Amino acid sequence: MTNPLGVVQGTLELLVLRTLAVAEPMHGFAVLDWIRETTDDDLVVEDGALYPALRRMEKRGWLESAWGISEKGRRARYYTLTSLGVRALAEEEARWERYVAAVAKLGAQRG
Amino acid sequence: MSRLRGPTQWLDRLGLSRPKAEDSVAWEVEHHIAELADRLVDEGWEEDAAKREAARRFGDPARYAVSMRRLERERETMERRIRGWDVVREGVMSVVRTTRRYPGFTVGVVLTLGLGIGANATMYGIVDRLLLQPPEHIANHERVKLVYYERPSFMTGEPTVGSTLTYPDFTDLEAHDGVEVAAYTWARPSTVGRGQDATQVQSALVSAEFFPLLGVQPRVGRFFGEDEDEVGGPLVAVISEEYWTRAFGADPNVLGQALEIEGSRTTIIGVAPRGFTGTNLASVDVWLPIVPTHAAQRGDFCLTSRGCWWMQMVARLHDDVSVEAAEAQATALHLAGRREMIDADRYSEEARVVLGPVIAADGPEASDEARVARWLAAVSAIVLLIACANVANLLMARSLRQRRETGVRLALGASRRRVVGQTMVEAVSLALLGGVLALVIARWGGGLLRAALLPGVYFPNEAWSVRLLAFTGGAALLAGLVAGVGPALQSRRADVSGALAGGGRGASDARSRARSSLTVLQAAMSVVLLVGAGLFVRSLAELRSLDLGLDVDDLLLARLEFVDSDIEPDEQTAQYDEALRLIDRLPGVRSTAATGVPFMWAEAEGLRVPGVDSLPRLPGGGPYRFPVSPNYFETVGLEVVRGRAVLESDVAHAEKVAVVSETMARLVWPESDALGACLLVGTDAEQCATVVGVVEDAARGGYLDEEFMAYYLPAAQMPTHAYEGAYIRTAGDPRELVEDVSTALRSFSPRVRFATVQPLRETLDPQARAWTLGAMMFSLFGLLALCLAAIGLYSVLIFDVAQRTRELGIRSALGARKAELLRSVLVRGGRLVVAGVLIGGATAWLAAPLLGDLLFQVSPRDPWTLVTVAALLLAVSAGASLIPGLRATSVDPLVALRAE
Repeated sequence: MTNPLGVVQGTLELLVLRTLAVAEPMHGFAVLDWIRETTDDDLVVEDGALYPALRRMEKRGWLESAWGISEKGRRARYYTLTSLGVRALAEEEARWERYVAAVAKLGAQRG
Repeated sequence: MSRLRGPTQWLDRLGLSRPKAEDSVAWEVEHHIAELADRLVDEGWEEDAAKREAARRFGDPARYAVSMRRLERERETMERRIRGWDVVREGVMSVVRTTRRYPGFTVGVVLTLGLGIGANATMYGIVDRLLLQPPEHIANHERVKLVYYERPSFMTGEPTVGSTLTYPDFTDLEAHDGVEVAAYTWARPSTVGRGQDATQVQSALVSAEFFPLLGVQPRVGRFFGEDEDEVGGPLVAVISEEYWTRAFGADPNVLGQALEIEGSRTTIIGVAPRGFTGTNLASVDVWLPIVPTHAAQRGDFCLTSRGCWWMQMVARLHDDVSVEAAEAQATALHLAGRREMIDADRYSEEARVVLGPVIAADGPEASDEARVARWLAAVSAIVLLIACANVANLLMARSLRQRRETGVRLALGASRRRVVGQTMVEAVSLALLGGVLALVIARWGGGLLRAALLPGVYFPNEAWSVRLLAFTGGAALLAGLVAGVGPALQSRRADVSGALAGGGRGASDARSRARSSLTVLQAAMSVVLLVGAGLFVRSLAELRSLDLGLDVDDLLLARLEFVDSDIEPDEQTAQYDEALRLIDRLPGVRSTAATGVPFMWAEAEGLRVPGVDSLPRLPGGGPYRFPVSPNYFETVGLEVVRGRAVLESDVAHAEKVAVVSETMARLVWPESDALGACLLVGTDAEQCATVVGVVEDAARGGYLDEEFMAYYLPAAQMPTHAYEGAYIRTAGDPRELVEDVSTALRSFSPRVRFATVQPLRETLDPQARAWTLGAMMFSLFGLLALCLAAIGLYSVLIFDVAQRTRELGIRSALGARKAELLRSVLVRGGRLVVAGVLIGGATAWLAAPLLGDLLFQVSPRDPWTLVTVAALLLAVSAGASLIPGLRATSVDPLVALRAE
């Protein structure tokens, strides 16, 4: 296992949006797990940092949450994407692609 | 992927409330650490160590907790707000939906609330003017006080309060160092111009201090200077903005123009601002300086005499002076000024000065109109309550119909609070619609009402005042809440399973009890209002049917004003004679007569009766003397009881004669006959006037005259007395002749400046105004209440019948006769109404005495009124029950049974 990449500042929200866009309501631990597993442990979000991000996004109306009982019988808070969130996901993705393209241009200069 | 599966149960939907912000953060962290620990245990960690490691990896929860909690709270606030808006939107949408499905329902509710709120808004306009607002343009009105004098009554010794006083009393108070004072008179009709072009305006006399004291600024020009308020000063006038507009087309060059008023030529020097009416609420067209005007019109007697009571006073307190201190000093000055009279036992030492608020209705001389208005405000509030009860009733009936829908919504997870909120929003939206209707009613009805019932009060002519809008909005909101709270609470009680299973029937006892008690309450309140209406109507009827002696409904009273104010008495009388000869020839005129003392005037002269030591003193004063023309009694409709009337033959050189009133005959000659007795008229009279007739008693000033004695002398035998007025008896309605008579009187002689002609009844109207106001408004509100109560009863019964369709169908199938079914509905309606009548009757019985002194010769517990109202209510309720009853009889058993 190589060292994980860590999360680039400002992209945590994109990761969460993408994760929640995949499917059903998920609680916070499942979101982190999903990111870690799907990226083969390349992207590891610090456990404690996720929750403030979820709150912020919920406040912006991107997410909705409700309390439920998990299959393990624990009470957990489940998040789903709202239509605002779907739109935000598209915008965040576009921003990310511009960012990647900009970094790539810098690399091309050097070559 | 199992962890992607959603929760097995939703806590929110199980009705468990959401955790508080603090808890929710802790819960979430707890959950995360627990899941992480599980994972570690799977990877082979010891359970305890796994928990410790999980907590370590999560990091310090405190690091995130603060910001998370803040975000959580903000999010919740926002959510609540959104949910609130949703409720409002749903409520409004529900109104729209209902309107589309049952337009009658919305129309009924809006109309009901509109009338109820409209009644209040209309009364508010009046109450605001009469009771709440000071007259306009008075700066710092708390410091401005109306001056009253309290003295023991001359007749009874009881303390009485009055505001009318003498000019020297005013100059006494000018020495006061704690207040400024100004003198003024109430507005009275005055003639501007002469002959055919003459018009009448309302003029008031004021001292030079009047305008500066009130703090009013002129619209144009200036107000009076000190040198213009002196005898012999230049005659000047200030006019109102309304009069300026009406008579001068708001000409900016009005200053310096001449205005001939009451025969005196004055120069206009200023225009007062719009709406300024001085300290009273009555419109004033022209203000004149008090001293020179009074001197020019009536001489200077009343400027120096402490016996001539003719004017009012207003005071402004200096900043650091209390009312009590100012009253004490004013009283001392007043008594000092009247010391001589007190010493001569002609004035009471106990007199004192009282300073009352500038809102006259709050002072000691509150008008009956103002007091009636206070009652009417309360009454209109009751009308609104009845309207609210009706709407609550309708909403409840509808919510019963929608119970199934409500049950479904609750089952689908809508919170009860949300259902309640939506019902409230519905009620309030309907009430606000009603408020719009109310504004229309207040604008249209208020104007009508004020013109008819309060013609003497100036109302600012603005379309919508902010205060009225605010009041109406507030009233609508309140009405919506009151009407909505019952139905909202009921919808909360909606029973999910029952509603769904029962298909919309279910137990509704509690509801129908609530609706029935509302109906009883409505009936009771209607009874109270109708009893009030009945009492005022009876007061007015008593007043109008008073035998005034004079045939007030057949008479015109005419008065001439002459160009030269010092016209000789015999010339003035000759003018009247000529005028009457002219009027006699007009079609529709039956007869005419002249008098030296027209209605509402009085003249008392030293009178001695040989053989009678002292004449009895009566509360009404007197004995009063009336110089009259020969056909006086016949014209005014006074019956000569004994002896004869004044005849053409009672001329100057004939034997002097007199006719006395029945009261005088009874009191002065209790043992003997008045006929043939001798009257010595005048303090130094030596020649007897022989009593040749006794005539029935007649009013001299209006409805409320107290007992007095009167005697009549042939005017021809009193050469120093002129005729001052004429009575014209008409064949038909005297109002139809006002125009003709006025025209004739204004043009027959160059010496006549103006003539006033008025039906005698109209001169009495102001005295009846409080009762007219009470009778009309109580009746209007009472009938409105009755209609609302009838509608309420009807809706309860018709709904009841609809609910009992099945039962009625079965009974009908089992052979119940139609009459029985009809009776069952009528009895139910009747029971509610009887309960209402009993409660309302008892309330009226207890409360009516509060009205006592506003009534006229009617007991506040007048049984006739109570019985009539009860009968009326029962009749109306029978009518309202009839249609539901008939519907009950027409239930088709088959349809009824299939309906479920």
